[in-house]
Amino acid sequence: MEGIATTLTSWNAGRTRVTKPPRATFTRLSRGATIGRPHDTAQQKRVLKATLDLLAHDAPLDPVQLNEKVD
Amino acid sequence: MEILENREAWQAAYKEGWLAHWRKTGETNWKIYNRPNHKTAPSGKGIDLSQSRLLLISSAGGYLPASQNPFDAENDLGDYSIRQFSIDSAPTDIAFAHTHYDHTAVNEDQQVLLPLRHLKEMVSAGEIGELAPQVISFMGYQPDAVRVVDECIPLIIAAAQAQNAQAALLVPS
Repeated sequence: MEGIATTLTSWNAGRTRVTKPPRATFTRLSRGATIGRPHDTAQQKRVLKATLDLLAHDAPLDPVQLNEKVD
Repeated sequence: MEILENREAWQAAYKEGWLAHWRKTGETNWKIYNRPNHKTAPSGKGIDLSQSRLLLISSAGGYLPASQNPFDAENDLGDYSIRQFSIDSAPTDIAFAHTHYDHTAVNEDQQVLLPLRHLKEMVSAGEIGELAPQVISFMGYQPDAVRVVDECIPLIIAAAQAQNAQAALLVPS
């Protein structure tokens, strides 16, 4: 979206990487729980903060792999 | 830049492959689906989020059943429309019309796909300037990439501009 700085997070690095997003974090979370495990507020906030922090940087950025997993 | 690179080639392969097979058999065969494969990422300036209005965009199929029609989640060819709902909508007022992911997690804790409580806390902490007042929602099962570009994305851009968003967070399901 031209003029609007965008970022995303995805549990599916393989399918997302080929779409060439301007900014992205990748996790090993699961379909249907993109931001984190249910009720794991700490994990959800880590994923959000890492993803939103990318907005400070000019795009395109290389995607950032986060060490966030389902279990 | 083109949103969908090699659009004509992609469309021809889609029509002659996946779509032709679906029309012939009624099957959605992902082994023959040609996923868009881009070479170039969009460029753009970074922003100071603490001074910006952030828009949440979700592909989880969220909508307000009391006042909005659900997405056509059962349509093999996808649904390219959008819904908008207030960031202050009660979680109990939001339903999800999307049959392509397990709803167990989001039914247990909506923050896993719609992290509005966390985003509001970040506004209160001064990390985000403010939130755009409406969430933009679509149903992410959209096999026709050309229809995504021609139908869905223009709706999202218009809605984002109408809300004067300076930044956007996309949360796919």
